[in-house]
Amino acid sequence: MNDTKRSAGRMDRRSFIKTSGTAALFLSAPCFGKNVLPALQKSNPNILLIITDQQHIDTISAGGCRYLKTPAMDQLKNSGLSFKQSFSPNPVCSPARSAIFTGRTTSETGVCVNNKPIRSGMTNMGQWFSQKTNYDTVYAGKWHVPETHTFFIPGFNVLHTGIMGQGNLGDTATSRACEAFLRNRTSSNPFLLVASFMQPHDICEWLRFNTENPDQLRYPGLADDLPPLPDNFDYDKNEPGHLKKIRKGRGPFKGKWDKQQWRYYMWSYYRHIEMVDGEIGRVLQALKETGHDKNTLILMTSDHGEGLAHHQMVRKSTPYNESMKVPMVFSWPGFIQEGGVDDKHMVTGLDIMPTLCDYAGIKPPENMRGKSIKPILDGKTVEWHKYVVTEVPANRGRMVHTEQYKYVTYVDDSVDMLFNMKKDPGETKNLAADPNYSATVQEHRDLLKAWESKLEVAPNIANKHAWWYNA
Amino acid sequence: MAKKRKRTIVGSPLTPAMLDEMEIIPDFPTQNDQFQPEKNWVNTYRVWTCHGYRKSGNTDQGVLKIERLNSNTADTFTLKVSQQIIHDMGQVNLIHADILCKNDQIASPLEWSLESEFIGPDGNVKPELTVDEKARNRDGNIKVKSAGFTYDRQGSEKLSGDWCLFEAIQRFDFNKKPTITFDLYEGLSLLRENHQLFYRGLYPWQQDGKEVTLHWFQQLGQGVLPYEYWLDENHRMIMAVTLSRVYILDEQAGQKMKKTLDGKQRYYQRKLKDIKGGRENE
Repeated sequence: MNDTKRSAGRMDRRSFIKTSGTAALFLSAPCFGKNVLPALQKSNPNILLIITDQQHIDTISAGGCRYLKTPAMDQLKNSGLSFKQSFSPNPVCSPARSAIFTGRTTSETGVCVNNKPIRSGMTNMGQWFSQKTNYDTVYAGKWHVPETHTFFIPGFNVLHTGIMGQGNLGDTATSRACEAFLRNRTSSNPFLLVASFMQPHDICEWLRFNTENPDQLRYPGLADDLPPLPDNFDYDKNEPGHLKKIRKGRGPFKGKWDKQQWRYYMWSYYRHIEMVDGEIGRVLQALKETGHDKNTLILMTSDHGEGLAHHQMVRKSTPYNESMKVPMVFSWPGFIQEGGVDDKHMVTGLDIMPTLCDYAGIKPPENMRGKSIKPILDGKTVEWHKYVVTEVPANRGRMVHTEQYKYVTYVDDSVDMLFNMKKDPGETKNLAADPNYSATVQEHRDLLKAWESKLEVAPNIANKHAWWYNA
Repeated sequence: MAKKRKRTIVGSPLTPAMLDEMEIIPDFPTQNDQFQPEKNWVNTYRVWTCHGYRKSGNTDQGVLKIERLNSNTADTFTLKVSQQIIHDMGQVNLIHADILCKNDQIASPLEWSLESEFIGPDGNVKPELTVDEKARNRDGNIKVKSAGFTYDRQGSEKLSGDWCLFEAIQRFDFNKKPTITFDLYEGLSLLRENHQLFYRGLYPWQQDGKEVTLHWFQQLGQGVLPYEYWLDENHRMIMAVTLSRVYILDEQAGQKMKKTLDGKQRYYQRKLKDIKGGRENE
């Protein structure tokens, strides 16, 4: 992506400030015509929200992953601030998306499993921005609350739908539609553009084509290029029964995979990431070539993570960090620290709605469960979450993550999990049953109880009895 | 009470034999004795997608038509590409491309025009979603003109394209068991580096009791899942697979796609009616 001829006519920030009077007149014009270049402004930037599907947090080459090339995500990471302690609100598609787009927990949105609609009367991001701002709210790609790909998303003008289970084809059209939106744009309003890609979710299809352990590697020439198994490939067998059931129900155990097949799966997953990286690159290129890059806040994240052979898990739905953690990268050169990595603040998808509202200069809806990350992105010292809570599909479990520990509990299961994340970041030694940690377990239970007590839980939700609602 | 259909996963990668077993290619393309890869020809592929189950969720997703036209000079030829892919709720993405290719081993794209447009479920083109580009590739430096502006984009000195490879592979000499390396310009827009396309061997196979010998190629590289190609004895590429996406040579591809599109458009109309009637999400 190189500089273009059109860039010669664009103002840099300093020139803009010098000629702000002219710029103000320019901005007040009712219509700028095709490809209007927005002047730089610190408030009400355009917002580009890029969402991938099922992306493991450590899959950006600029972040140190050696097994793939991700020039587009590298560009975002190098030009912005990324969070290492970033969690999904619920490690499965529809629930996570319901939380991201409302700022409410999945037990509140009523979307605890896939293909459920957001609770009636709960406002989503598109609706809120449409009501409270002059932003053009535009959506392309996967939605999944409840329909996976639809033209009917409240509050959004939907450019493109996508193809169920076929990110390899659908994502190209998603990025093409976003590109066209940026190139053909005539509105002078700021935009909130959601580019929601399906990949790397196609790994779920891959697993159905590669369940059987082959006699030999399908592409023998790859043998030396396969990534190594992760350090926490082996796991603590003292797990909740539900996790054992998940593992045994999935392809690798049904197909009795050997280690080479596990490594081939990892290799394939990285190719899926590269595929979506290309599509993100197309959108970033259009953003740059149309001059919108200078005035657009970009957030790239994912709905949930991917097992990626850690704990011998594939796909998602588990409370292990590979499934729970997601990339969260904010980029807006000149306004957000470039190349920064935040390992201190725990953030979740619940923080996205208040953050984007903050950038748009509006208050978020009532009862947000997350906070605006903007002060952190502005470099300010703020009072931040002491812990985060993530729900588990079907309202079956909870994870409470504090600075040092991670506690997991399931409905109707006597086995809890507690990990010391400072000493054991790979979550390989379950301390929950160790009497030395009983106070720590209780402390985390109390945090969970306090968290649950403030929630406005959706009616008729599964396992409602199990938690401490309205305590 | 309706009996719940049990879904059986495919379990192993898609191949001609697997697709035959799944009854996806009951009328596998006939051998065309007249096919000459270096002459003018038209190949029409049905784009079929699989959700990973043998009997459910599999769709005739679109059509890819590639026409090869020789130039007046022997060192170039033109590919006219038309691809239609159906998206959920009956939206169609159309790509039209005219590509002037170098008559080399990888059909290097030299110049092209490309148009991407979307047709809504009502059958109307959405002009606001159309992108037109004209581009020129000189030794890996790509200049793109779009909407009156010119952009420089990174290419590579040894560049091919996915549609270009569909042509090039048909000119390979099977006896030489070629292995070629190149960078891929996917969809004439996304650079995918370090690709290798190699001859995997013969693919003996029986269909309807008849022996059919196909020639099997595989392609590996950054940014894509492996591609596998099967060519008949006349060098005509009859099938290509990349994970769940299959290109099957099929003159009836258009009619099959139409059936899918009709179903998705009907679904859209039903949903629209529900929304208007306030029944959505009930």
